[in-house]
Amino acid sequence: MTTAPGDGGRSGDAPSVSRTDVAVMLVILAIAAALWLETATFERVATLLAQNIPPEFFPRLTLAAIVVFALVLPFEPLILGLGDGAKRRAAPLPAMTWKTAALLVAVAASTVAVGTLVAMILACLLLPALWGERRMMRLITFALLFTGAVTLVFAGLLRVPLEPGLLAAWLGIH
Amino acid sequence: MDAVLLGLSLVVQPFNLALILAGVLVGVVVGALPGLSSPMAVALLLPFTVMLDPVPAISMLAALYCAGTYGGSITAILINAPGAPPAVATAFDGYPMAKKGEAGRALGMSAVASVIGGVFSLVVFLLATPFLAGVALSFRPAEYFALAVFALSMLATVSGRSPVRNLIAGAVGVLISTAGIHLTTGVERFTFGIPEIADGIHFVPVLIGLFAVSELLSQSRSLDALYERITSVVIRLPSREDFRKVRGTILRSSIIGTFIGILPAEGSTVAAIIGYNEAKRWSKHKHEFGHGAIEGIAGPEAANNAATGGAMVPTLALGIPGSSTTALILAALIMHGFRPGPYLVEQTPEFMYAIFGAMLIANFLFLGIGLAGAKVFSRVTLIPPTFLWPAVFVFSMIGAYSYSGSLFDVWIMLAAGIGGFVMNRHGFGPAPLVMGLILGPVVEERLSQSMIMFDNDWLRFLDSPIVVVFLALTVLGLAWPALSSRFRRRDVPSEPAP
Repeated sequence: MTTAPGDGGRSGDAPSVSRTDVAVMLVILAIAAALWLETATFERVATLLAQNIPPEFFPRLTLAAIVVFALVLPFEPLILGLGDGAKRRAAPLPAMTWKTAALLVAVAASTVAVGTLVAMILACLLLPALWGERRMMRLITFALLFTGAVTLVFAGLLRVPLEPGLLAAWLGIH
Repeated sequence: MDAVLLGLSLVVQPFNLALILAGVLVGVVVGALPGLSSPMAVALLLPFTVMLDPVPAISMLAALYCAGTYGGSITAILINAPGAPPAVATAFDGYPMAKKGEAGRALGMSAVASVIGGVFSLVVFLLATPFLAGVALSFRPAEYFALAVFALSMLATVSGRSPVRNLIAGAVGVLISTAGIHLTTGVERFTFGIPEIADGIHFVPVLIGLFAVSELLSQSRSLDALYERITSVVIRLPSREDFRKVRGTILRSSIIGTFIGILPAEGSTVAAIIGYNEAKRWSKHKHEFGHGAIEGIAGPEAANNAATGGAMVPTLALGIPGSSTTALILAALIMHGFRPGPYLVEQTPEFMYAIFGAMLIANFLFLGIGLAGAKVFSRVTLIPPTFLWPAVFVFSMIGAYSYSGSLFDVWIMLAAGIGGFVMNRHGFGPAPLVMGLILGPVVEERLSQSMIMFDNDWLRFLDSPIVVVFLALTVLGLAWPALSSRFRRRDVPSEPAP
């Protein structure tokens, strides 16, 4: 819901260095360090071939910029006088978000085995069920009709190729 | 003149008109639905536009962009939940008006102000794009490099609370764009032994993940959101008295919105907020703001729609996106084999006129559709999220998979979605990352070309006055948040001692 305009979200919490921001900075620095090390594994090429711009040059330049910005990050509320919103960011995620993410990964993983069509039906059945939908007839009707319509439009009319999956191959369906 | 006629004749083909109408309908619906947005809709449609010719494909996306920006105002006014970020400021006075029984008047003003702002910006688009492209034709790689760096520095000032986070997200986008085989040397970078990354990380699955999947995960936290709905709505066109009251506001906001849109990386949301603030600052009825001021609707709506035409100017003339949605339209142009920039405007001007025509038609279509069907569109919020978001996920899966027929892209989409959600939770928005992803290859390529031309001598960048100007603007852009904060704090009078 929208609240009336005021400070544009620039106040609220008093500006301070938050632990959450320091943790975010450390995570970014760790990832940047790992990627910097990865650039050291890039194949070496002759200077003439690289034309003075070796392949690791630009990624390292970008990583250096990320490191500089990350070091400023925790102090940004102090520099800009912003309410840091760290409390909101530090709040734990609801279990539902974790479950949803896990379900999405599971559905995507199942595509290899069952193919896109069955994976779509699974998504249309399991995600609403996870989110609290208990009207089974409505759920099944939605899953079948929506998936059928999508398949008809995309695979039938637009000729979008769909992954058949190992199951279809095993059953000899093409 | 031939190019104008050719461009417009391309747009008015029945198939193209049907796609523009479809784009407008989809745009108004996704604009009206809280959580869905026009960048998300464009990202989901991107892979399917490959099957279309360039003109109908880009026309549909451009129409969706215009209508999506307008659509958010419907739910902002009727249920106090802006369907899209650019409509946030519209809710400040739109919803109070609706509660006072003036929803129809608010919706009418929103539609008319949006169209005036949109058409104004399209006229500027028509005049400024060839001019800017003409100037850019003289740019060498060094100037392009400086321009792209300047565009990235503008991320410090885009909407969002944290300029530093925006810059980090932009740099992450640039870094992602470096994955794959380095074109100059053929060396694999950041492939981690995965052969699918050798061609680079396709931006379509990344965009779908960032805009659709990460929003789906966000929605999982608010499944029980309830909206208080205004039901008795009879849409009214603004009266002569209303027009007299808002004409200055609309003109001012149209100019502001167009200018903000032209600035790289700035978009409709920033334009709407500035439009609202300026409407209030110039109003003779400041006390009405926040309680249902008609100028409080006209200001942000004219500004956010004016930003759409403005944002297309640097997108087409320079190949530098003016907003997150135009970054996606730029991606669509690249997918269709175009190289956005001055040569596109110079060599295929009819293409620019076709986009102009499509956006012009879209503006008038959403005026009609918005006035006639606002009540119906507000009812899209009745679609239960338990069915809406699984449908979005299915589209995301098909979109990511169909782009190259590879399940690896579905994994990229999921990784981008989950990563984008985590980043968003910590204040790193998707828009700066997309900008970085699109501009990254431009920056690297132009930097490499410049360094070869300058024989590895960095100081020779400063030989060009244009480069110096862009680099100075870059420094100013990076320092601006700190400077403006200092000015703001200085302007606030210190509290008297108790």
